[in-house]
Amino acid sequence: MIKSIAHVTVYVLNQDKALDFYKNKLGFEVGEDMTIEGGFRWLTVYPKSQTQLQLVLAEPKEGPMFTKEAAIKIRGLIEDGAFGVGVFETEDCQKTYEELVAKGVEFIQPPTEQLYGVEAMGKDDSGNWFSLVQQAK
Amino acid sequence: MTANTKFKRLSAGRDYIADNYRDTFSLTDAANNSLMSPFHFSRVFKKTYGETPNEFLIRLRIEKAKKMLITENFRVSEICERVGYMSLGSFSSLFLKHVGMSPTSYRRTLWRLSSESFRYPSQVIPTCYAYHFLRKPVN
Repeated sequence: MIKSIAHVTVYVLNQDKALDFYKNKLGFEVGEDMTIEGGFRWLTVYPKSQTQLQLVLAEPKEGPMFTKEAAIKIRGLIEDGAFGVGVFETEDCQKTYEELVAKGVEFIQPPTEQLYGVEAMGKDDSGNWFSLVQQAK
Repeated sequence: MTANTKFKRLSAGRDYIADNYRDTFSLTDAANNSLMSPFHFSRVFKKTYGETPNEFLIRLRIEKAKKMLITENFRVSEICERVGYMSLGSFSSLFLKHVGMSPTSYRRTLWRLSSESFRYPSQVIPTCYAYHFLRKPVN
């Protein structure tokens, strides 16, 4: 039986900028930031109250699994907003939305009532979409 | 008090621990930053973050030490001090308990595996990522 999810990949355009976004704007903590032999940067972040699930912030670059063309294609798709990070939960969607807007986070949709709660939709610095959800009680 | 305010207050105490992990401080110091009693702070901290303030501090110190052991040339005793431990014995025991090997063995093992000085070997990241970004699967 699978117990939990430990790592999920989020492709970003620039790891430094993504780190600034996830750490200083969303308030995430840096899990690991290490340079592996060959120069690959292993960079993970996680919400402070959920230490067991780390987002791997990775840049699509030419390498063993990506041709140069594939890496360019993926970067283009990120820029076009074709990918989503997932759903971030909050206790108070309106308040968190206001705090994030004040920090310069771009939102596509303000807090809106949905069947499952209140949801706003934003974008990270690369253009990946995310939902900010306050679950209905 | 709203849940958001409570969380912010708790975060202030957590940030205090993260900012001062190199120094000696008490649970009361951290709790004061959250405007809570030490007992209440500890209880809410565990409930929110899944670990006690002390477990968080130890995890943070061990992670910092692991990084320094690989990327720096400091002696183990120096790293012990730099992450806030006064006793090399306590630090080594905690490191062994959390990492499964002594600080010296950890450094020796990872340095031996890495082809580049002061860089981590690819074996420290999940293999699916190593294959994806660093090397092709053998088969």
